[in-house]
Amino acid sequence: MHRAYQTPGGSIRDIKLCLLGDAGVGKSCLVHRFVSDAFNASSPPTIGAAFMTKMMLVGDQAFKFNIWDTAGQERFKSLAPLYYRDAAAAILVYDITSDSSFHALKTWIKELTRYGPPDILIAIAGNKCDKADQREVQEEEAEEFASSVEAVFVETSARTNKNVHWLFEELSRRLPQEQAESLTGNRTLVRPKQAEEHPKRSCCSEK
Amino acid sequence: MADCDDDEMFLDSGFDGPVLPWDRFRRWVTCFCVVTFDIELGQALELVYPAHIELTDREKTNICYLAFPDSNSGCMGDTQFHFRIRCSPRSCQKSHLVKRYEDEVPLAYRSDPAHFYGFAYFRQVKDPSIQRGYFQKSVVLISRLPYVNLFTEAVQLIAPSYFENGELSLETVCHDIDQWPYPEAGHTLQLPLMGNVMQVRVPSRGDKPGAVSSPDHPLVAHIVPQMPSPKVIPTLRDPDIFRCLQSVLPHIHLLWELALTNEPIVVMAPSPTICSETVQALASLISPLHYCSDYRPFFTIHDTEFKEYTTRTQAPPGVILGVTNPFFAKTLQHWPHMVRIGEMSNLGIYTKYKQLLAKDKLIFRRLSKGNHPKRPPEVQNAILRRHMLELTQSFMIPLERYVASLMPLQRSISPWKRPPRLKPFDADEFLTTLEHSGPQLTSRLKGNWVALYRKFFKSANFEGWLRHRKQEIRQKLELLHLEALGKADVSFWIQDKQEVEMVDLFLQIKEKMACSESFYPPISFEVKQQLKGHLLSIIRTLPEDLQFVLKNS
Repeated sequence: MHRAYQTPGGSIRDIKLCLLGDAGVGKSCLVHRFVSDAFNASSPPTIGAAFMTKMMLVGDQAFKFNIWDTAGQERFKSLAPLYYRDAAAAILVYDITSDSSFHALKTWIKELTRYGPPDILIAIAGNKCDKADQREVQEEEAEEFASSVEAVFVETSARTNKNVHWLFEELSRRLPQEQAESLTGNRTLVRPKQAEEHPKRSCCSEK
Repeated sequence: MADCDDDEMFLDSGFDGPVLPWDRFRRWVTCFCVVTFDIELGQALELVYPAHIELTDREKTNICYLAFPDSNSGCMGDTQFHFRIRCSPRSCQKSHLVKRYEDEVPLAYRSDPAHFYGFAYFRQVKDPSIQRGYFQKSVVLISRLPYVNLFTEAVQLIAPSYFENGELSLETVCHDIDQWPYPEAGHTLQLPLMGNVMQVRVPSRGDKPGAVSSPDHPLVAHIVPQMPSPKVIPTLRDPDIFRCLQSVLPHIHLLWELALTNEPIVVMAPSPTICSETVQALASLISPLHYCSDYRPFFTIHDTEFKEYTTRTQAPPGVILGVTNPFFAKTLQHWPHMVRIGEMSNLGIYTKYKQLLAKDKLIFRRLSKGNHPKRPPEVQNAILRRHMLELTQSFMIPLERYVASLMPLQRSISPWKRPPRLKPFDADEFLTTLEHSGPQLTSRLKGNWVALYRKFFKSANFEGWLRHRKQEIRQKLELLHLEALGKADVSFWIQDKQEVEMVDLFLQIKEKMACSESFYPPISFEVKQQLKGHLLSIIRTLPEDLQFVLKNS
């Protein structure tokens, strides 16, 4: 039997998400904070990509994030398309204390629009915002850039846990219903019993 | 391979202790090999990844030749197939830990200490920049696990990425695989690989044979309920026998008899893909019985066992060979059974074998009804699988029942005596039981069942099955004996005993307990506590110097 995640809506939505950005901006730390609520300042660089999953309830909808945390090192860059190819969402991460990591986002956006799925939802996270005294990237500048590419924007800190959950919640809220379905390629699953009890209004339920 | 010793030594730390890098990887995969065609050298091993894995020259040679289609039968583009080779004898006893993991896994799903399975992805495309005008390369996944369906799927993701991105892909892939959970019986696992997630279930001996695989254990902590997004691989290794054997379907019962009795079979096919699938299908026809003899999904004239298997000085060995090179038609002319399959001339089965059981016509009618309206192929396969499974079970149930009757009566087990022995298997005695409890109880097939049993008794499958059953029963007897010993009144028994007898009992209990560590199912906590209690009460009655010696023994 599946472990029952009882949600009033009765369905779980699968979201493939990938993290992209320069080496050392804190992609893995963000994921770790989100998935296991832990922080390790000296985590080793990721090889290729790491995979993790996390369930989250937003309103009455359950989401299962399949997270691919890609390596930031230049040498792994050629593999990135494997991970964002059919992703529903991407989080582009930069480090607010590194101007160059912010400028690298432009290349990532270009790549995503060229090779990524057409409707991929993009979020931009300015990480390490606990280090405001070393700031090189102004929040307004980043926000402006984000809105120019229609991306969700927030400054985060994996160290202090600032805005980490908000980021994922916001992503799931922005994910159009039909998109979630078409991108995961299949229908969502309804627990049969609940489906009988509450006839669903939306079109995403089975049976 | 960095010799199994230290290979397995590392594993020991994996069960309860911390997981070290490569621990999980090597439970699934041994290594990746990249084989290229060098104009000077011929097939050449370009790369082994991870680099610390050592293969013997013999293994390397075999992998190199088997990584490419044998006769260059114009396999343009991408070709996928698999093979099985002997690995060199090295001290390859499975560690205690791997055994413990695999105890609960059915025989056919355990790692194979004597063989490697190779899953090849071969690409041959025009490339004017290369001297020969062709790019010819193969990526091969090497594993001791016969998980054909899983690894075929995996290589299909890995190889194209390797051709595009080079070694980096393999580094990433190995890292992904090193994150896979251990293949534990009864668990549904999600296996991330290069942006994809594959979902598999490792079967358990507790499963009902033929039951549809569905998760029956809670998923591992960080894994959440399955959703459509991961690619579900319904079985790790069972091939689609309906698709693979469709062209010889009317003879499926004949093939079953041949596979059951380990007759030498050669499969000739136009491509290594068809050839390896067909051999796999034949070996799996007798499931849930484990095919105990050798089988080679793809075999070439370069194989190191070529001479051994093709010699005319001895009767052909009871193995299944899959070949594509037409040369074998001559070399293996003396083999009694040949299956020609795929798009080639003279299709069919060439044999003088007289089928002992009649065909079951009902199954053909059921399957052909499925053609109008079109029934999904997986349903056709499931119907055929179930039919073959029931046939094998009808054949095996009388044997299972008979072997169970060889077990001594429970009341003959005394805590103070050695556990009683299993009675020997007596073929004639067994055959006399057929009259009232033979396969006719569960199968409507008519024919000479007795002759089929007699043939089966001479086969490797029978030998393997019986050895396995005997071992299980012996263990069961040991277990019952330990239970009896646990319940026995030891303090009363030792009252009138000599010191030497008490010491003997002490040592015996200790040894038995150590021995029982590897039992499946394990001895209960209760019995363990009882036995520990006995050890204590014996030791208390002994003089202090002896106590000291025994405690430190």
